[in-house]
Amino acid sequence: MSELRAVRNLRICSKDCLCLFVCPTGATDTETGQIDFEKCIGCGACSKACPSGAISMVPYKYPKQQEKDSEVIERLKKITSSKVEQEQIAKYVYKNGSDKEKVLAKIIMKSNRLITEDLYREAGYMLPQSDNTKKFLEELLEKDKTNKEDIERLLKLLGFK
Amino acid sequence: MSKYICPICGYVYDEEKEGVKFENLPDDWKCPLCGAPKSLFKAEAVEVIIAEEEEELREMNYGEVSALCSSLASSCEKQYLTEEANLFKKLADYYNSKTKLEGNFEDLINKINKDLDLNYKKAREIATEKKDRGALRVITWGEKVTMILKSLINEDIPTDKKIFVCEVCGFVYIGNEKPEICPVCKVPNFKLVEVVK
Repeated sequence: MSELRAVRNLRICSKDCLCLFVCPTGATDTETGQIDFEKCIGCGACSKACPSGAISMVPYKYPKQQEKDSEVIERLKKITSSKVEQEQIAKYVYKNGSDKEKVLAKIIMKSNRLITEDLYREAGYMLPQSDNTKKFLEELLEKDKTNKEDIERLLKLLGFK
Repeated sequence: MSKYICPICGYVYDEEKEGVKFENLPDDWKCPLCGAPKSLFKAEAVEVIIAEEEEELREMNYGEVSALCSSLASSCEKQYLTEEANLFKKLADYYNSKTKLEGNFEDLINKINKDLDLNYKKAREIATEKKDRGALRVITWGEKVTMILKSLINEDIPTDKKIFVCEVCGFVYIGNEKPEICPVCKVPNFKLVEVVK
């Protein structure tokens, strides 16, 4: 099997459709607008032909998660803890505050969540396929019976079991 | 007996060793190492909180699990892994619904100040020492956005202006015309999404 597959970014795609006639297998010709992964052989012809640069070749197997120094992770996680608390306080204000406070609380919730997500990416969780994610999901599975099926499904989909 | 720490250079004023209570020092007393004014010094209580957080780190709380799940959801989305992204999103929402922390804007300001005065500074120190460029990037962006959030809490947001949030770095812009690019992370402005009031 090829190591790569083509994906189309629908936000950039300007429907020039050059991919349609360069694709050797017809994988780009679909009703959904996305490329048929079953048919794609990863040759990259569509990606090279696309005048809008809307098609990228993405790997099936991603590189190993970058090794992170434990002190760096610890420091980043101190910020995530604080940001998470701020998001929760903002959520409380959003539910209980005046209209004016609600607006501010909403911005703080949204902005803090984005900051936290970014921090986690740099704290060892850049790739869903990494060992760190596997460990996180396995530990969650032990404690969380409510979402057992979803967590098990994720472990399977990400190739962990 | 407590210790007081200089936020600029880290000098520790130990009441026990000095034999004089920090509060009894003259107002014009300055940090003997870097000359920072007495008013900037912080009681060591801040450090105690950090020690408590270390305990918490071993077991992630609901809010942290939620944030990590939504982070992984967005990473899956980038890889066009739709089912995985949706499952992580579902977990993120579930854990977010279980969080319950009360507070007000004053609590927020206190936490923001601690992030700016301590957490980001320490993180930058370590990331620089370990030459972690990715970590330095996230620290730089996050610190700038945190300063913006602090200024928003302190000011009144004009009701006749639109609010935009950068979906890449969290930067908040108040105004009717979006800037060409996000001033923090430099992404083109289609990533600055209006927040419906």
